[in-house]
Amino acid sequence: MSRSGSGRKVVVVPCSGIGKPYGTVSREAAYELCEELRPRTTALVALSRLVMGDAGAGRTVAGHPAIAIDGCKLTCAAKMVRVRGGTVAREVAVLDVYRCHRELKPEGIAELNDAGLALARVIAEEIVPTVDALAPPGGAEPAEGDEPPAGDGPLGGDEEDGDHGR
Amino acid sequence: MDKFTFRVPTDRLYHPDGLWVLAENGAGSLVRVGLTDYLQQRSGDAAFVTVRPAGTHLARGDDLAELETLKVSLALPAPVSGTVVEADAALAASPELVNQAPYGDGWLARLEPSQWAVERAALLTPEAYFEHMRREAAIEVGQT
Repeated sequence: MSRSGSGRKVVVVPCSGIGKPYGTVSREAAYELCEELRPRTTALVALSRLVMGDAGAGRTVAGHPAIAIDGCKLTCAAKMVRVRGGTVAREVAVLDVYRCHRELKPEGIAELNDAGLALARVIAEEIVPTVDALAPPGGAEPAEGDEPPAGDGPLGGDEEDGDHGR
Repeated sequence: MDKFTFRVPTDRLYHPDGLWVLAENGAGSLVRVGLTDYLQQRSGDAAFVTVRPAGTHLARGDDLAELETLKVSLALPAPVSGTVVEADAALAASPELVNQAPYGDGWLARLEPSQWAVERAALLTPEAYFEHMRREAAIEVGQT
């Protein structure tokens, strides 16, 4: 997963519900998690790559524990991880978290309102313990199958490590 | 309708706004109210359902409940006048019941109608609601 070999990583796959506030929340939560909270132990995989059958993305989810963040009950992200041979270590539904934080009603699509961004932050923070359990921040020994096949990039073979597949 | 299937049970009456009314006895001294399969599918996953509490007196058309989903926030009208006898307590913890079982455990409230004999005539039969729903759905998917 990581070319620096810094240890095990967790794949994060958010909803691709473009044009829907809860889908946007799921992606913002994933960005928050992968870019701000746990950049060293997570990697973002775009759901669209799994849907399109991208071989590299498929290998990535098949070789690492995945966290799926879904915007609705169709749970497309979790389903696609499984379809591509991955293991969903945790499924997070934006709706379930919102039910616990009614004051954070997400609105807006291209640009979420402040409440929506706050909800995304809450979701990301709730996922952190799971990430830390799967990939301790101190750097666990890479697990078997933790590295992608030689020559394969982290997210499908065409990005350098750190590109999270936005 | 298109790729969707909407169930319309034949044992109850309907309000055109997407609510059903089931007389719990022949005299209509107590009715159970819920939202239709069409309305729940059209509205999306429920985040919160708030039903007026027991003892609330409502005229027909007054707000009986509020439904907040992924897509919309809706005020659901009382399909008949009456007093709320019981609100479905399960909805507070499990609002998804309105999606999973709109004609079963996802009911909204039980009412004691005050003008059942008159107001039931304004409700739609299953056949009439089916046609009404089909027209609305056709508009929704642009088939008109």
